[in-house]
Amino acid sequence: MADPVTLAALVLVVALILYTLFGGADFGGGIWTALAFGPRAREQREALFNAIGPVWETNHVWLIFIVVTLFTAFPSGFAALFIALMPPLVLALIGINFRGAAFAFRHYGRETGREVPLSATVFEIASVLTPFTLGMAVSATASGTITINYGVTATGTAVWFTPFTIMGGVIGLAICAYLAPVYMTVRVAPPLQDDFRDAAIAAGVALGVATAVMVPLSLRYAPGFSQRLLESWPMLFVVLAVFAGVGTQLLLLWRRFKVAQLGAGATVVLTVAGFAAALAPDLIVGEMSLEAAAAPRASLVAYLAILPFGALILIPSLVYLYWTFRGEPSSALPPAGSENGSSEKM
Amino acid sequence: MDNLLAARALMGVSLAFHIVYATLGIGLPLMLMLAEGLALKTGDDTWHLLARRWIRPAGVLFAIGAVSGTILSFELGLLWPQFMAFSGPMIGLAFSMEGFAFFTEAIFLALYIYGEERLSRRTLFLCTIPLTLASAVSAVFVISANGWMNTPAGFQMIDGAPANVQPMRAFFNQAWLHQAVHGTLAAYVATAFAVAGFYAMALLKGRGEGDGKKALSLSLAVALVAAPLMLVTGDWAAAAVAEHQTAKLAAMEAHFKTSAAAPLIIGGWPDRETGTVSYGIKIPKLLSLLAHHDPDAVVQGLDAFPQGASPDPRLVHPFFDLMVGSFFVMALALVLYWWPRWRKRETEPGRAQLKYIAFAAPFGIIALESGWMVTEFGRQPWVVMGYLRTSQAVTPNDGLLLVFATFLFVYLALTVGIMRLLLERKHDDAGREVSHG
Ligand code: HDD
Ligand code: HEM
Ligand code: HEM
Repeated sequence: MADPVTLAALVLVVALILYTLFGGADFGGGIWTALAFGPRAREQREALFNAIGPVWETNHVWLIFIVVTLFTAFPSGFAALFIALMPPLVLALIGINFRGAAFAFRHYGRETGREVPLSATVFEIASVLTPFTLGMAVSATASGTITINYGVTATGTAVWFTPFTIMGGVIGLAICAYLAPVYMTVRVAPPLQDDFRDAAIAAGVALGVATAVMVPLSLRYAPGFSQRLLESWPMLFVVLAVFAGVGTQLLLLWRRFKVAQLGAGATVVLTVAGFAAALAPDLIVGEMSLEAAAAPRASLVAYLAILPFGALILIPSLVYLYWTFRGEPSSALPPAGSENGSSEKM
Repeated sequence: MDNLLAARALMGVSLAFHIVYATLGIGLPLMLMLAEGLALKTGDDTWHLLARRWIRPAGVLFAIGAVSGTILSFELGLLWPQFMAFSGPMIGLAFSMEGFAFFTEAIFLALYIYGEERLSRRTLFLCTIPLTLASAVSAVFVISANGWMNTPAGFQMIDGAPANVQPMRAFFNQAWLHQAVHGTLAAYVATAFAVAGFYAMALLKGRGEGDGKKALSLSLAVALVAAPLMLVTGDWAAAAVAEHQTAKLAAMEAHFKTSAAAPLIIGGWPDRETGTVSYGIKIPKLLSLLAHHDPDAVVQGLDAFPQGASPDPRLVHPFFDLMVGSFFVMALALVLYWWPRWRKRETEPGRAQLKYIAFAAPFGIIALESGWMVTEFGRQPWVVMGYLRTSQAVTPNDGLLLVFATFLFVYLALTVGIMRLLLERKHDDAGREVSHG
């Protein structure tokens, strides 16, 4: 258990889970900005926009953390994955870029009292593109279509068009779309709360359907992976995830939002953990084990040794951040010009 | 354009883009901290208002810094997988620690920007301290990785693969310290001049009385402290390069033939065919003196390296001169601004001074970009000096030209967007011009 490869792999899984929980909700905010509905569509957008503001950059750092952990602890795995997954990763990057920029531009525009043209649309499109392509990339590592022969990594272009990887993208989207409204229910008051409740329930159904469809698809397209998932202990995660998901739907129906938030988190944690458990002990299913991908022991130990120090700084700061911006989202800056006309000066 | 060239061009463009925002991401927090600190100390609220006005553009710049940095960390894998497979165990540590610095930075930035209504003034000031520290530390960490590429350490090559890895040794490689100090200070100089230029322009246009002058003094005070250190640390860097990166030194100085009492060549265009520099100014013995602190020392020239194993001086020498030249352009601005103040206690900068400051403003970032070109082009054709060639590190995937073109478009779109956002003025209802700075 305490061998450094396993520990580093666990760190990687934890980082993936945290990125899904935080970054995922962030993308979900963008998805529901696009899907805002009903008479309060405008208010929904506002609330999402204000909730994302203070936390998006921090949420985003989890992705960096995953990438960095991958190349520090599993350098040859990193190399193989980034060769194999180039198409979706390039698309995801474009999405990440335009999304971040569009959000910042829009925020800036708000504060100076202007609408920045296109920024809303770009933000919405990018919020869909990124989780979809990242979902494809993650599921492709399980598909068994990445091959490594004599150190040469290859994937056919075909893999990006199989129902399995496409469904992986859809699941990525569904997870994000599910988390954001659940988190919002505890942060806003009715009637907006009910809107987010409806959104959460709908997305919960979508996520349930998507993962259910994934089962026969993976039997057909990713037999190696599905065997491990469904025929041994990782199955436990699947069962628990189903329970958590169904339970959360009920909690949402009963308006027990605080507990529902935890339930939704648990559902997603179990889903990602189940995926990772079925992938282990491989990094790329059937082709590269974690052991083979790992860095020399000294590097792993050094990497693991700095984590507690990092956590010592990170955890209190994160708690302080989320604590400060808990409750009703607001745009913290007064609108332009309200600082005693100071906006006329430089 | 072949795949390798496309990858190099993309990496170079991405880094050159990122460093602009990273620089401001290091320099602006310091300015914010100083302004908020002054507000608390003097009770003069204009300092606080000044800082709060900076954060609007700063928020955008930080966001672009974060996303362009993300592009970079992906590009390490997308473009240079073999490099990372080789180097990850050695430089991963630096990047991992940088990751925590990023977290700290993002968190305290958010608290500072969005916390106006939820936090006290004192707390807001306190938030700028970890922000300033984290951004400086993140530069120090990432530069360690770059220093390692220049002077690899902390491993042995056994059967063509690195073995006996010692991550701490890799972290504290020979180039790290001088690059970290010189490179981080550069961010302060560049930011200070950018801010000073902005306010100099504003004052010239008759805007920004009062707090514009405050901002000008503050930024030029930061520059006054940091700029002389650039000269000192630059000299240190050159001496260290002379010792450990002889090929880079030769390319920097366009020094073709190994010789004693080598002259320093300023300017000019190096010609690799003939091994001469046309139009350059030669100062006898100065290169030997600067590089080895002895006017008669022998300095290795480009001829000391096998064909195809040394950098192209045409890409290195002009950038070196540009960096050093920019230093003098900025130094003059500092003298023009501070000298009268110190001598006659005069406080009003005249129009000529302001004009010169506005002219000198871009040279901070110009120096910084060109310094990086020196470092990076000066390492070629190696990505890990002496161990791994750039051509061996590149991805086997095709289609990099398309990726390059795509990202070029992304960067252009972002640049145009930012320019329009930050520079465009809008007219408010009364038809007055309102700036959003
Ligand atoms: C404001 C920016 C700025 C200014 C005024 C200077 N530099 Fe610089 N220099 C940088 C910004 C910079 C940099 C961009 O930050 C570099 C690139 C890599 C690094 O670590 O710092 C750099 C690198 C760099 C290197 C290469 C180090 C290496 O590759 O290991 C040398 C030899 C110098 N510098 C020397 C000087 C000298 C002699 C200067 C004289 C005044 C000078 N620099 C001014
Ligand atoms: C931010 C300032 C920097 C700038 C402007 C810059 C610029 C460049 C340029 C122009 C190239 C292309 C060189 C060529 O192939 O001829 C390059 C390559 C590269 N740089 Fe940097 N660089 C910077 C910092 C860094 C840092 C801090 C790192 C790593 C920690 C780094 C890693 C690389 C790598 C891996 C390559 C590709 C391999 C190579 O061409 O040698 N760079 N950079
Ligand atoms: C000398 C070169 C570099 C310096 C001084 C530097 C510094 C910085 C700073 C200060 C930031 C945060 C400020 C901001 O958001 O604007 C930043 C962001 C970032 N940089 Fe760089 N950087 C350099 C090169 C690189 C390289 C080579 C990489 C990766 C290969 C990289 C990856 C990143 C990433 C991933 C972020 C985003 C962090 C976030 O999400 O907040 N940087 N950089």
